[in-house]
Amino acid sequence: MTLTSEERTTPTESDGQPLLEARGVIMRFGGLVAVNNVDLTVNQGEIVGLIGPNGAGKTTFFNCLTGMYKPTEGSVRLAGADLPPKPRAVVTAGMARTFQNIRLFGNMTALENVMVGRYCRTSAGALTSVLRGPKFRREEQATRERAQELLDFVGLGKSTELLARNMPYGDQRRLEVARALATDPKLILLDEPTAGMNPQETRQASDLIFKIRDNGLAVVVIEHDMRFIFNLCDRVLCLVRGETLVEGTPEQVQSDPRVIEAYIGEPESEEEEAQG
Amino acid sequence: MIRIPNIPDDVRARHAGKAWPVSMAGAALLIIGSFLSWCYDDRVLGDLSIRGNPGGLQILAIILGVLTVVFLLVERGPLYRLRDWADAALAVRALGLWSLIYMVLVLIAITIEAGGLVNVNEGGWISTLGALLIFVGSRFLPQRELKNLATARLSPYAEIAIISLSMAAILFGAAYALSREDAWEFVLFLVFATGLVVGLVRSGFTTFFGHIATRNKKVLTLAAFAVAFFFPFTQQGSDANMSIATQVLIFAATAMGLNIVVGLAGLLDLGYIAFLGAGAYVAAILSGSAFATVDLTPPFWLVVIIGAVVSSCLGLIIGSPTLRVSGDYLAIVTLAFGEIFRLAMFNLDGNNGPDLTNGPNGIPGIPDLQIGNFNFGDTHTVLGVPLGRFSNYYFLLLVLIGFIILVFSRLNNSRIGRGWVAIREDERAAEAMGVNVFGLKLLAFAGGAFLAGMAGTVKAHQDGAVSPDQYIFLESAFLLAAIVLGGMGTIAGVLIGATILKLLPEKLRFFNEYRLLLFGLTLVLMMRFRPEGLVASQRRALEFHEEDEELAELIQSEHLEDVR
Repeated sequence: MTLTSEERTTPTESDGQPLLEARGVIMRFGGLVAVNNVDLTVNQGEIVGLIGPNGAGKTTFFNCLTGMYKPTEGSVRLAGADLPPKPRAVVTAGMARTFQNIRLFGNMTALENVMVGRYCRTSAGALTSVLRGPKFRREEQATRERAQELLDFVGLGKSTELLARNMPYGDQRRLEVARALATDPKLILLDEPTAGMNPQETRQASDLIFKIRDNGLAVVVIEHDMRFIFNLCDRVLCLVRGETLVEGTPEQVQSDPRVIEAYIGEPESEEEEAQG
Repeated sequence: MIRIPNIPDDVRARHAGKAWPVSMAGAALLIIGSFLSWCYDDRVLGDLSIRGNPGGLQILAIILGVLTVVFLLVERGPLYRLRDWADAALAVRALGLWSLIYMVLVLIAITIEAGGLVNVNEGGWISTLGALLIFVGSRFLPQRELKNLATARLSPYAEIAIISLSMAAILFGAAYALSREDAWEFVLFLVFATGLVVGLVRSGFTTFFGHIATRNKKVLTLAAFAVAFFFPFTQQGSDANMSIATQVLIFAATAMGLNIVVGLAGLLDLGYIAFLGAGAYVAAILSGSAFATVDLTPPFWLVVIIGAVVSSCLGLIIGSPTLRVSGDYLAIVTLAFGEIFRLAMFNLDGNNGPDLTNGPNGIPGIPDLQIGNFNFGDTHTVLGVPLGRFSNYYFLLLVLIGFIILVFSRLNNSRIGRGWVAIREDERAAEAMGVNVFGLKLLAFAGGAFLAGMAGTVKAHQDGAVSPDQYIFLESAFLLAAIVLGGMGTIAGVLIGATILKLLPEKLRFFNEYRLLLFGLTLVLMMRFRPEGLVASQRRALEFHEEDEELAELIQSEHLEDVR
C-alpha cells in the first residue's frame, strides 16, 4: 500500500529544497504575541516534534501553518510555493492536519469520513452527479476503494460501516489520521495524536506515524508525552511563550537544561509537570 | 404528551388470562355493530341506517375491528409464527384506543348532525361497547421480547408485493378521503387513518416496511409513481379534487427544491417563494397573454430553462455575499429578499420603472400550455376516463417532481452530498479537510432556486395568472413548515408534509381561521417531541439527538444489517 497516489508528483529529495519552510512567523492577537518569530523547516520523510508547556503557542503555530489563521508576519512555503492563508488551499497544496480535540463528522460512518477527505482530489460536479455517467461511477468507485485502503492502513479495516461517534476514542484518533491522509498530503500535521491514550494505544500510534513516514510523507507532531516524542522524532522544536527555545535532535533537546526548566519550572511557578 | 397510565404488573398478571377473550369479544362486537344500524336518520354521515349494508364510516370501523382480530390471532392463534416479530399487544392497545376515540366521535357527530343522541341506533352502541372492550382488554395483554426487525427477511417477491399493496392502499385511501364532501366524514376518516397508522407503527410493521423499502428502493419509487399516475383515473373527470391535487404537487415540488437548501446543505432560506415567483413571472411575461409586457412567445421548454436560469441567477446574487457569513444572517437576508421580490413585482408597472409586471394587477389571461398538438386546456379521454385540464397539468407536474426527486437523491448520494453532510456536522473541520464550503453552499442555494424557477413556470400556466400577492412571506413559511413537519432531508417525509399542509386547509374550510394557530402549535409540539420530523432521515435523527447513545447504537445496528 502506498500513500502517494500515482498521479501526483512527489518532490524529489535531490533538489535539496525543504518540503515545508516557515520563516519568521509572528501571530499577534491584539497586544498578545502568541507566536513570535518562529522558524520551522521540514524535509521530506522527516518526523519533526513540536513540544512546549501549555499555552506555548504550539496549536496557534499549527493554525498559522494550515491557514486557519493568517500570520501577522512571516511566510510559509510548501515545496517551494507560498501557501495562501486559506485552509482549503493549504489542503489542496498538500498539507493535511488532525485536531487536538477530535473533530470527526460524528454522524457519518468511518468510510464516509475518509471519503470526505477525498473531496479535494475528486472533481464530480453537480451535473455529473445528476447524470451519473461512467466517469462519475468510476470516480465514486475509486474514492470508495481508496477510502477503504486508508482505513486498512490505519488499522480500521473492520470498522468501515461504524458511525464515527460510536467508535472508541483511540479509533477515532486513527480515523482522523486516515481522513487527513485521504487528501493525499505531502506533509501531515498531528495535533496531540496520543492525548488521552493508554501506553498500548500510544505505541500503536507511534507505529502508525513511522509507517506514514516510511511511505514518504513528512510528519509534524505536537505532543506532551516526552517519551513518545523522543522515540519518534528526527528533530524536536521546543516552544516556550511563543518563541523557539531549542531546536535539535531528541538527545540535544532532552538534555538541555532550559527545556527541563521550562517544563518543571522554577520553584515558584509549578504549573507544569514533566512527563518524560 | 398525554399518557394513559399503565396497569400495575401484579394486577395485569392476575387478569392476564381474561385479556385476550375480552379483546376478542370487543373486536367481534365492533364488527357486528357495524353491520347493524348506527343512526336513525339516513340523511347524515352518508347513511348509516341500513342493517346488513354498512355505510362508509361503518366499513372503516370494520377495518379497525378486523385488524384487531388479526393482531389478536398473532398473539394467540393460527398466526403465531409472527409472534416473535410483530408487537401484537402494543398494536391491539393502539387500535383499541383509536377505535374508542373513533366511535365516541361518531356518536358526537350523530348527536350534532342528526340533532340528539337519541338518533343513535343499537349498532352504534354495540360498536362503541366493542371498542371499549378492546381498549380495556388490550391493556392487560402481556408484552414479549421481540427479535430485531432488521433481521427479518421475506422472499423478494413477497417484499415487492407488500410494497405494492401498501401503495395501492394509500392510493385508495387518498381517493376515498378526497371524495368525502362532508367535514365530519373527513375528520372521522382522518381519525381512522391515524388509528390505523399508529396501530401499524406500534406493531412494528412500519419499521419492517422501512427495511424492505431500503432494500427495494426502485420498486418503492416505481410503485409510488404508479400510484400517483393512476390517481386522476380514480376521479372520473371531476375537477374539484384534481385542482387540489395539482396545488399539492406544485407545493410539494417547491418544497422538494427547498429541501435541498434546508435539508441537505443546512441553510435556512426564508424567502424561497421568491424563486418560484421569479419562474412564474418569467413564464407569464413570455406567455403571449394579452396582458404580457413582452411580445415574445418562445417554446415552453425554452421558457422553463429561462425561468430556471433567471431564478438561479437571483439565487447567486443573494447567495454570494451572504453565504460567507453564518446561518442567522442568511435567514434575515433571504427574508428581506422575499419581500424585495414582492415589492419589486408590485412596482414594476411603468410608473416607477420599466413596465414588466403590471404592478399589483399582475398578468392575468395566461393561455394554457400547448406542447405540439397537445393542449393542456382540453379534456382528453384515456381508457374511457375523461382527463380534464387539471389532470393534464397534474401529469406534467408529476414529471417535474420526478425530475426534482432525481436531482435531490442523486446529489445527496454523491461527493457533493457528502460535502453537505460534512458542512452540517462541522463547518470548520470540513473546510480544513479541503471541502469547498462556500462553493457547496452556493450550489445548494442556486440549485434550489433553479428547481423552484422550473416549478414556477408551470405554476403560471396552471393558475392562468400571476400577481405579487401570491408570493408573500407566509408561503415561504409554509414551505419550510412542510419540510420541518415531514422530515428534513427526506423525500417521502417532505412529500407527506407538503400534502398535509396543503390538503388539510382545502378540505377543512371551517378550520381555515385557525390554520396558522394550529400549524404553529403543531410545529412547537414537533420541535419538542420529534424534531427530526414525521419521516426521519437517520442522519438527521442523529444530529437532533447528539446525546442519545441508544439511538446511535440502534441506527448503527440497522445500518450494519442493511449493508449486509
